[in-house]
Amino acid sequence: MDTPIQFQINTGSAEPIYRQLMDQLRRRVAAGQWQAGQELPSVRELALQLAVHPMTISKAYGLLETEGLLERRRGLAMRIAAGHARPAAARDRIEQLRPTLQRAAAEAHELGISKTRALELFDRLLDAPDRGAAR
Amino acid sequence: MNATLPSHANGAGLGLLSQAAEPTASVHITGLQLGYRGRPVLQGLDWQMHPGQVIGLLGRNGAGKTTLLEALLGLRDVQAGTVRLFGQPATRLDDAARARIGYVPQASDLFEDLRADELLAYFRSFYPRWNGAKVEALMQRWGVPRDVEIGRMSGGQQQRLSIIRALAHEPDLLVLDEPVASLDPLARRDFLRELVEQVLDRGTTVVFSTHILSDLERVAFNVAFLQSGRIGLQAPLDELIDETRLVTGPEPLLATLQGVEVLARRDGRRLLRHVDERSLPPGLVAQRASLEDLFEALT
Repeated sequence: MDTPIQFQINTGSAEPIYRQLMDQLRRRVAAGQWQAGQELPSVRELALQLAVHPMTISKAYGLLETEGLLERRRGLAMRIAAGHARPAAARDRIEQLRPTLQRAAAEAHELGISKTRALELFDRLLDAPDRGAAR
Repeated sequence: MNATLPSHANGAGLGLLSQAAEPTASVHITGLQLGYRGRPVLQGLDWQMHPGQVIGLLGRNGAGKTTLLEALLGLRDVQAGTVRLFGQPATRLDDAARARIGYVPQASDLFEDLRADELLAYFRSFYPRWNGAKVEALMQRWGVPRDVEIGRMSGGQQQRLSIIRALAHEPDLLVLDEPVASLDPLARRDFLRELVEQVLDRGTTVVFSTHILSDLERVAFNVAFLQSGRIGLQAPLDELIDETRLVTGPEPLLATLQGVEVLARRDGRRLLRHVDERSLPPGLVAQRASLEDLFEALT
């Protein structure tokens, strides 16, 4: 039933890898796709799979644990913390979109793109069927 | 500073500089100077590496990365300064310390008349430790033929063999000079995994120069920028990306910035650390910096 936990990273972005991992997990949990009790890959597994330094993974896991999204159990895999069994309320989820859209809005202003044009583009992106991860 | 050192470290290395007292440094370079025909390349360079660190060395072409890595390994006469590996002078390592080092040079230094299996057998005789199973697995996975003379292999095959040779004795310090230049993307990814595994299993210290920034971004937790003959800056990459902003605008406005750490200045732009974006005067634009931006500003 559960959506398998898989991470993707982009290099060349101004978003450090540990933050990309945190954001993906926050979004998946908010959407109810990754749920309480689901186990995360170990630091070792994920470091090898993504070919990134293990400290980058432990940093992301550690910060997510501090936020209360993950729970650590001695000798066992990290898992999504209790209390994240259902999707967050829609109004909380949309708040998570705010920083990204804020940045997009600022860039639209800088580029001198009209509101209508920008909304058209966003509309099309939402409908684009091959943007699998977003749907 | 002293408070953070374990108590047994106090008093170790008496008579040395306080930093040299840390017993764990894999590499410790101070005041390194080296030049060619009167042209200075390294100018009083200081650098340290600790176990488990993976450090990406960044610098423009001709900045002296290869010279630095060769000097680090004790392969070059230096004009001034000291290089110590595992606490020993790099030019006078004992056999035990030498066996803890793996090196992949930029240009292949393999014996071209030998076949891969002959070469590996030859090197095996020098090392007390040799992971034959790993060698076997990598030769298979990376498709390196064992019965072809090295001189007849492709550049990519030679580079793979050079990497296998450097990993075979499970070094504690791995020095890689453009190790992936002739590898295809899949082989590069596989090589990075191999590095990650070394770090996980052995806490290997890795220093690694490359122009392929995406590789560095993955495996190098720390980046070091070589500029004007010194390591101008070394820091964890994600901290750098989090803490720096590229600020652009008219030069007179930029000149008014005060009380911020300026990492680099070019006409019309500054790379600033720990800057509060809200405090910038109108007319200046702050952006987050990618590794590529950092490379441009800091090398």
